[in-house]
Amino acid sequence: MIFRDIGMATASLAGSLETKLAAVRNAGFSQVMIAAADVVSHPGGTAAGVRAVRASGLEVTGVEALRDFEGLERQLHAYKVDVAKAMLGICADLGGRLLLVEASTSKHASADPAAIARDLGKLAVLAVPLGIRVAYKGQPWSRTARDFRQAADIVLRANVPNLGVAVDAFDVLASGVPLDDLDILDPDQTFLVQVSDYMWQEVRSAEEQAVTATHFRVFPGEGAHSEALSEFIARLDTNGYVGNYSFDVYNDDFLQMPPEVVAVRARRAAVWLAETVLRRALPVPNVARLRALRG
Amino acid sequence: MTHATDREAIPEPQNPLGVDGIEFIEFATSRPQALGGVLETFGFRPIARHRSREVELYRQGTMNIVVNAQPADVPRTVMPTERPVISAFAVRVRDAQYAYRRAIELGAWEIPVRAQAMEINVPAIHGVGESLIYFVDRYDEFSIYDVDFRAIPTVDPHPPAVAGMHFFGIVQYVGPDRTADWTEFYSQLMGFTPLPRQVRFGIMPSGLLLESPCRKFFLQLIEPDESARFAAMDEHLQRVGLGTPDVTAAVASLERRGVEFLATDRVHSSERGALTKPLLGGMMFELVKSTPPGAGER
Repeated sequence: MIFRDIGMATASLAGSLETKLAAVRNAGFSQVMIAAADVVSHPGGTAAGVRAVRASGLEVTGVEALRDFEGLERQLHAYKVDVAKAMLGICADLGGRLLLVEASTSKHASADPAAIARDLGKLAVLAVPLGIRVAYKGQPWSRTARDFRQAADIVLRANVPNLGVAVDAFDVLASGVPLDDLDILDPDQTFLVQVSDYMWQEVRSAEEQAVTATHFRVFPGEGAHSEALSEFIARLDTNGYVGNYSFDVYNDDFLQMPPEVVAVRARRAAVWLAETVLRRALPVPNVARLRALRG
Repeated sequence: MTHATDREAIPEPQNPLGVDGIEFIEFATSRPQALGGVLETFGFRPIARHRSREVELYRQGTMNIVVNAQPADVPRTVMPTERPVISAFAVRVRDAQYAYRRAIELGAWEIPVRAQAMEINVPAIHGVGESLIYFVDRYDEFSIYDVDFRAIPTVDPHPPAVAGMHFFGIVQYVGPDRTADWTEFYSQLMGFTPLPRQVRFGIMPSGLLLESPCRKFFLQLIEPDESARFAAMDEHLQRVGLGTPDVTAAVASLERRGVEFLATDRVHSSERGALTKPLLGGMMFELVKSTPPGAGER
C-alpha cells in the first residue's frame, strides 16, 4: 500500500471503537492513532477496548493525548504523573510505541523552560521500560510551547532520546510560522507529523484558531490550503523525516456522518498526499533501514 | 562574581547514590531444584531459605543468587516458568530509601510497597521487561537476608568462589534502536556511563557496555541483529556475566564439575572469556576475564 505511513485518528470518527477501527481498515489504512478515551470508554471496559484494537490488525500510530502535564508542582504534578502512567499503560497494552503530549494550557503551569524540560524528561524516562516514545506538540494557545519551534527547544533542553517533537501542520498554517523554520527540526527527534486542512482562508485570532482547530478541520486536499500543506510536507520530507503522518482532523460535521463515509474521504486525502506530495514510490520498509540508506 | 555554572558545565557527582556493586541477582523459575542443581555445578551453595515464601539463597564468594519460585503477585513482574529467567538484580547503594525516592522522582516506576515481589523489605523499581531493580543498603555488618531468611543448618554460609569468580555484569537484550533509551534510563537513575565502543571484555562483542559508577559491574545492551529487526520487541535480562582472573582455569574447573561450554567456530572458550551451552531451556552464563573489584585494577 503506497500510503502505509499515513494513518487516521479514531477522534475523527463517530461510532463505537469497533466501528471506527473497521472503517479505518476498510478504507485501506494500515495504522490508526488511538484516542485514549475511545479505549477506556469501551462499554466492555478498557481490556475489551484493548482487545478490539489488537484484533483490528491495525498498527497503532500512537495514543493521544496527555494534556496539561508539564510545569506543575507538588500534588498537581503527582496527580498528572499518575494520569501519565495510566496512559502509558494503555499505550503499551495496545502495542503502541508513541504517546502524544500536547503542550499545557493550564494556568497553573509554570512557563519556566527548565521546569518543563525536567517534567518531560521524567515522562520520557517513565516511558522507557514500556518501549514508548513521547512526542511533544506545541499548541498556539499553550503557556509552555506555542508551536513546534518552542517544543523543539524544550525537547533539546531535556535531551532524552525517547522525547521528540510532534508537528501539527494546522498550527503552522494557521499561525503563519515560516516554512523555513521547519529546518530547525532534527528529523530523528521528530516523532510524528499531524496533517489537516481547514476551510477558511485566514484565521484572525487565537480564539478563532482554537475553535477552528477543535471543530472545523478537514482532511488534506479538502480545504483552502492544499498548496501550503504540500509545501509543508515536501519540506519535512526533504529534510529527512521518515516517520508517520497522522490525520489530525477534528470536525463536528464528521462526527455526524457515517464513519465509513469519513474514512473514504480520509483515503482520498491519503492518496493525494502519498501520490501528489510525498511521491514515496515504494512502500517504506522500515525507518531504520531508510536511515541507514541515508547514511 | 557570577555563578560558577553560568560559565562551565559542572558535572553532577558521578555516583550520587553511592552505588557499590551488585548485592544479588534473582532468577524466577517454577523448577527451583533444577536451577539449584545447575547453580551448584557452578560452585554456588544453597545457604538460606526464605521464612515464608518459596525463595532460596545461593552463594559463592561475593555472589548471591536468589532463586524465586513464588508465583508473581505484582503486575509486570515475572511469573515463574520452567525456564529460569533473570527476574531482578539488587544494587548496593549508600541509602536505599534515598536511591528509591530519587529514582521515582526521575521517572522510575515504583513497586507497590506492601507487595515486594520477594517480600524482602527493600525498595524496588521496575526494570526491563518484567524484571525489577532493588536498592539495598544493608550489606556490611548485617544483611537483608538476616531478617527474611533462615540459614540452612550445617551449611557454610560463606562458600568460597570457584576460580575467583565474581559478578561481572548482566547482558540485557533491547529492541531495535533502543540502546540510547536504555542508556539514558541507567545513566539518569543510577549514574551508569557508556564505554567507548572499542572497549571490550570477554568473547561476545555485540552491543554497548555501560559501566556502573562504582566501576564494579557492567550492563551490556544488545539490539537484535538485522534479520530480527522486524520481530516483535522483546526486551529482557538475558544472561549473567561472571568475572574471573583466569578464564582457562575457571573453564577447566567448571568443566570438571559438569558445566559445558560452547565450542563453535564463532563462539568458543579463550583466555578472554567463555559462554556456557544453554541450560534448562535457554539460560546461559558467560565467563569474562576480570580481576575481582577491590583486588587492584581490572
